[in-house]
Amino acid sequence: MDDDESIELVPKKRSLFPVSAEDIVDNALQSLDEGQARRVTEKAADEIVRLAVEKRKAEYRNSAAQEEMHNLINNANLLDQQVSDYKINSTFETASGTTNVEIKKSAFSTLQIALLAALGVLIIIVAYLSLR
Amino acid sequence: MNRVWIFFLILGIGYFLYFQFKANGISFFEWLKPTDRFHQSRLVAVLLGLDDQAVNELLTLYKEEFGNGPARYARRTYQKWKSGKVQPSKQTYERFLLKLPKVMTYDLKCEVLRHFMEEYTPKDEFELDVNVDDWEIKLTPLVEQIIEKAYTAQLPAEVERKLHWLGEGDMIAAQDILRASQAEEGKIMVSLLREEFAGVEKLLAEEDLKPKIGHVLKFPYGTIKLNIKRK
Repeated sequence: MDDDESIELVPKKRSLFPVSAEDIVDNALQSLDEGQARRVTEKAADEIVRLAVEKRKAEYRNSAAQEEMHNLINNANLLDQQVSDYKINSTFETASGTTNVEIKKSAFSTLQIALLAALGVLIIIVAYLSLR
Repeated sequence: MNRVWIFFLILGIGYFLYFQFKANGISFFEWLKPTDRFHQSRLVAVLLGLDDQAVNELLTLYKEEFGNGPARYARRTYQKWKSGKVQPSKQTYERFLLKLPKVMTYDLKCEVLRHFMEEYTPKDEFELDVNVDDWEIKLTPLVEQIIEKAYTAQLPAEVERKLHWLGEGDMIAAQDILRASQAEEGKIMVSLLREEFAGVEKLLAEEDLKPKIGHVLKFPYGTIKLNIKRK
């Protein structure tokens, strides 16, 4: 993880935190009258509050998703030991988006199904040839 | 007499064919609908795609400005305007998008602006295969590209020409605030991505389970679909 610190996931420049509302609207305010300037400043402050709330929500979604994923691993392992044929589809709302997980186990593997199909075709051909 | 029969026969066949095509999603009258994404009716539909609270606020203002009758009709019809089933008249367009903005709160106007910017700014779509070792290297430039896009998001000239109030006075400042806010929103989204991938890594480490994992990152100006493999 430490080695990876040099890789930045997000651009560093122009972050709103902890930039104040005044900084964001500094240039824009110059051409506005007093009423407009007040509305713009209030809007900037509202956006900063909204983003702070979004950040908290993202953190919450992240921890909830981590827990759900942990439960999914446990449940899938349990099922894997007890059942030979199952399919699990799970969707998690994470901080960055949506994760879809599909876990399935079939009594017959793809190779086994292919072999059975080939055997079936072979039987039909032999039957056809012998009845001709 | 024969002509009457032929007329009804053709009418019957036409009627049958029309409903058969309609049932298969082919409409004879599709060409009559405006396809221009900046058409007045489309702009009304986009406006009514705001969240429920904002639409309610709009309809309340509509009632205050234009009276009970038009407001009742608007409340009854707005879902059809939104879906395009009913084309709003020029008067409806003017009421919603030219007259109401004069009495809208600044907050509501900013919501309308945010909605139009997100609707009309072209979006980037990416889909890529990643594994637990290379996801960060592959994903970083795409995430940067989409987040940077928020800083340069611009309403199309056609929309600004028709809805000039979106680009005037304090709405110019609103555009700057929204761009910074949308970029920050993107940064918040990806700020916990390493933790998210740690969870995915744990799941992929369960060799017996052979999980198939997909992840979708949805930004205001783009979407990245990831197919995550073990190695």
